[in-house]
Amino acid sequence: MNRAIFPLLLGCSLWTALAQDAPKQDAPKQDLPKGESILDRYVEVTGGKAAYDKIHNEVAKGTLELTGKNIKGTIVSYQAEPNKDYSAVDITGVGKVESGTDGTVAWERSAMAGPRIKTDVERDEMIRASAFNAHLNWRTLYDKVETAGSEAVDGDDCYKIVLTPKSGRPETEYYSKTTGLLVKTSSVNTTQMGDISTESFVKDYKAVNGVKMAFTRVNRVAGQEIQVHLDTIEVNADMPKDRFDLPEEIKALLRKNGAIPDAK
Amino acid sequence: MLMKYLFLSLLAAAVGWTQIAARAAHQADLDSFEYVWKTVRDKHWDPQLGGLDWQAVHDQFRPQIEKSENIEQTRQIITEMLDTLKLSHYRIIPGAVYSDLAKDSSVAVDGSVGLDVRILDGQAVVSSVEPMFPAKLLGIKPGWIIERIGRIDIPSLIKNFSTTAGGSTLRDLTLRRAILAHLEGIIGQNIVVEFLDEKDQLAIKTLTREPPKGTLTTLGFLGPAYVWFDARRIKDAQSTVEYTAFNMFLAPDTLMPAFGDAIQSCFKCDGFIVDLRGNPGGLGAMAMGLANWFVDQKDLRLGSLLLRDTALKFVLNPRPETYSGPLAILVDDTSASTAEIFAGGLQDLKRARIFGSRTAAAALPSVIERLPNGDAFQYAIANYVSEGGRELEGNGVIPDVEAGLTRAALLAGKDPALDAALQWIRTQKPKHE
Repeated sequence: MNRAIFPLLLGCSLWTALAQDAPKQDAPKQDLPKGESILDRYVEVTGGKAAYDKIHNEVAKGTLELTGKNIKGTIVSYQAEPNKDYSAVDITGVGKVESGTDGTVAWERSAMAGPRIKTDVERDEMIRASAFNAHLNWRTLYDKVETAGSEAVDGDDCYKIVLTPKSGRPETEYYSKTTGLLVKTSSVNTTQMGDISTESFVKDYKAVNGVKMAFTRVNRVAGQEIQVHLDTIEVNADMPKDRFDLPEEIKALLRKNGAIPDAK
Repeated sequence: MLMKYLFLSLLAAAVGWTQIAARAAHQADLDSFEYVWKTVRDKHWDPQLGGLDWQAVHDQFRPQIEKSENIEQTRQIITEMLDTLKLSHYRIIPGAVYSDLAKDSSVAVDGSVGLDVRILDGQAVVSSVEPMFPAKLLGIKPGWIIERIGRIDIPSLIKNFSTTAGGSTLRDLTLRRAILAHLEGIIGQNIVVEFLDEKDQLAIKTLTREPPKGTLTTLGFLGPAYVWFDARRIKDAQSTVEYTAFNMFLAPDTLMPAFGDAIQSCFKCDGFIVDLRGNPGGLGAMAMGLANWFVDQKDLRLGSLLLRDTALKFVLNPRPETYSGPLAILVDDTSASTAEIFAGGLQDLKRARIFGSRTAAAALPSVIERLPNGDAFQYAIANYVSEGGRELEGNGVIPDVEAGLTRAALLAGKDPALDAALQWIRTQKPKHE
């Protein structure tokens, strides 16, 4: 499951305060490996490039819960090469919040607020976050990656790397020095409502078709903690051809704005 | 002999267990007090709490909590501490609400007698009677005054509360809720209610509580609620107007499609009315979702939420097809929170004209969390400022046309706010065409 889900989780956050951890002191930048090698190691320890190359789409299903709020729901996420995404959360008492991209148009639709099309930086961020097998293809998504230091995440000594995209804000990722696995991400996401800080703690790796994937994410979005537990991740699934087609309401908005893109 | 010592040991152990249990409950109350105090300190949108010395407030109330003998006292003390903030949306919800819910939802959700109530000139006046409820069949009419519900003397209740509430904008909202709570109860149970009828004659009626109107919904710790939506076409020789009303901004899965259907069936209507009287609010995002049907311009906002570290904008996203005709919103002093954000936001955008009386001025976004002692704590996490720069908290939405309910109007079958809105729409008709 990629980070395109973050703005969707914001839609579930139901207006709470933004609480951010105080910045921690980085260890001195001595003998730190290059960011490229940390990302390459991640690909290697999670299965290797050959295993990734065999995966072309993914369907993840699970549950989510707003910690301490008694608000629970289900989540489903469909992704496919090169950057197609459709995700939906369905929360008891709130209804369904969907988002998606066909690689060109990024959109969102919720039971509460209706449909909308994402534009500008928000659109770019969503399409980038929807990149399939992003760790294999990071050079096409980011201009540079730098190792920013060492930092402990839940007691695990990690390398902290900063990825600078071609457009938008830098993103920070933390990789365990011991296992090489990604254990945390943090970024500031552009949304229509304003800039939102997000943190995600990545856990519970299990092998799926030879690639280790995280089944649990504990996300801190807009001051709320949202736990996402995936029950299943199916790869190379038999998806309907129209899975990533734009919903009719989104097409209607595009027609209204005179902005329907060329047929893909 | 051995049996005696065994008995004494068991007795001592039992006493010990009792003390341990009591200490655990008291510790949970202390922990709850500290949780509430720290939450306000850490999450209130204004770190200075408007100049209130929050540490001093803690030090004032902590000794009282340490002497608290039961959860009811604890609840009262924490509530008094929260009252020093002088803000809406800070309250303690008894944990029994949740344990009742867990046992049997049909018992936990209160049955209704089909009456709505407003406080008019210091009296509890029936403002509407649901058509399918026994109250209607018993001849109870809008404009009747409620004198007694069971053993509760309503004029005394109003007088006592008015003394303590002073000039609070929440007085009538709170009183209405209290009176409705006395009317509600277990479905199937009867309640004897004494009224003064249209001739001020005593009328004693036995009302049976029925399943409430609407769809049962739950959201987190908010507890169960019945959400209803009404729509009807008001036609006369001069105009065709769609009238809509709903009691809460909840259950978006059912309410939003119903509202959408009402609008889409009436794009050519001469006017559209949204009646938010009695609506205490709900999910903030639904205010945007509804407003999106009435604006056709990008980048408009209903206002902003000012959090401690950032501001979140209530941006509107016009629907593919929108209604461009006259929009009237009806409000009164029982319209609160999201209802105020919707009405105040569209008023600032000059997209809607507001009719009725001033709203409750309780417009803070909030969340609810459980406390260690089992109660729940609702607290505000942001301030709301309308696009025109107004803080609705403490001020409310001031109608463009003052047209409050009166007992005389109710007895005459009139609705001053609705009548004024219809009259305005008729004057707008040529512009819309």
